[in-house]
Amino acid sequence: MAAPSMKERQACWGARDEYWKCLDENTEDASQCKKLRSSFESSCPQQWIKYFDKRRDYLKFKEKFEAGQFQPSKTPAKS
Amino acid sequence: MLLLVWTPKAWHRLSPLKPPALLWTPGGEALHVRYRLMSRQGPGEASRQSQPQGPGFRTRLLITALFGAGLGGAWLAARAEKEQRRQQQRTEALRQAAVGQGDFSLLDHRGQARCKADFRGHWVLMYFGFTHCPDICPDELEKLVQVVQKLEAEPGLPPVQPIFITVDPERDTVAAMARYVQDFHPRLLGLTGSAEQVAQVSRSYRVYYSAGPKDDDQDYIVDHSIAIYLLSPDGLFTDYYGRAKSAQQIADSVRCHMAAFRSVLR
Repeated sequence: MAAPSMKERQACWGARDEYWKCLDENTEDASQCKKLRSSFESSCPQQWIKYFDKRRDYLKFKEKFEAGQFQPSKTPAKS
Repeated sequence: MLLLVWTPKAWHRLSPLKPPALLWTPGGEALHVRYRLMSRQGPGEASRQSQPQGPGFRTRLLITALFGAGLGGAWLAARAEKEQRRQQQRTEALRQAAVGQGDFSLLDHRGQARCKADFRGHWVLMYFGFTHCPDICPDELEKLVQVVQKLEAEPGLPPVQPIFITVDPERDTVAAMARYVQDFHPRLLGLTGSAEQVAQVSRSYRVYYSAGPKDDDQDYIVDHSIAIYLLSPDGLFTDYYGRAKSAQQIADSVRCHMAAFRSVLR
C-alpha cells in the first residue's frame, strides 16, 4: 500500500479537524458526530485513525492536567 | 686569620638580610658586596652601625615584585602553550571524526549510491522519518524546508542541503522516497537502503526507531526520535533541533554556526 500523497494527507487532516471540532462543540459526545466520523474514517488509513484517536485522548488529558484537575496524592504511594 | 675574624662580623651584620636568598637575585650580589665593603671598614667606622641594616624596604619590594613578575610570566607562557596543545589535539580529534564517524552508505531517491563524503563542503540539515508518517514527519519536513528557504533568501549564505532519511526501509523504496520528497522541496534528498544500512546510519546519529504492530492492512507506524540534525561542511555533527524549535529559531541558529565555522579539513 503506497503512502498517502500530500493531497491525501491534507484531506485526511481536514476531515480529522472537522471531526475534532464537532467533538469540541459536543463535549466529546461521539454520537453527535457520526457523519464526520465516517468521513474521517474514509479519508485516512486505519493506522492513522488509531493514531489520531490516541492523540486526541492525550491532548484532552494534557488539557485536564494543565488545568490542575489531577491532584497529587497526600500519602506517598508505595510501589 | 684576619679574614676569619672579619667574616663572622660581616655575617652577623648581614644575617637579618638572609644573604643566601639575596645572592640569588640580580641586585643581591651587589648589595652583599656593598655590605662586605662596609663591614671591612668596620671598627673605625662605628658610626656606620647606626645606618639601616638591610637594603631599603622599597628595594626589597622591587626585587620581590620583579621576581614575582618573572614567575607570573613563566606561568602565563606555560598556560598558553598548554592551551595551544589542547587546541591542536582537539582539531586532530575532530579531523578524525569528520572522516570516520557518521558515515553512511545509502541510495538517494534517484537510485544513486550516496555516502557522507558526497556532502563535504555543504551544510546539511538532516531528518529521520518515514513516508507513512501521519503528521509529525510532514510537519517537521515542512519546517526544515522553511528553514532552507529562509536561508536561501539571504544573500551571501551558502546553500543548505536538506536530507530525509527513512527509518522504514521495508516500505520506503527508492520510488516511494521519490514520490514523497517531491511534495516538499526540489533539493530535498531522500535516502534509503537495506535494513542493515538504515540500522547503521541510525546508530551513527543516535536515532531511535521501532516499527509498531501491523494492522489488517499490513500498515504500521514507526515510533522514532524526532530531531533535525545540522552537519557542518566538514561532515561533523554540529547541532540538533527538536519539535519545539520554530523555523525562525533554527534558521538563526544555522546562521550563527555558519558565521563561526572554521574548517578542520585540509
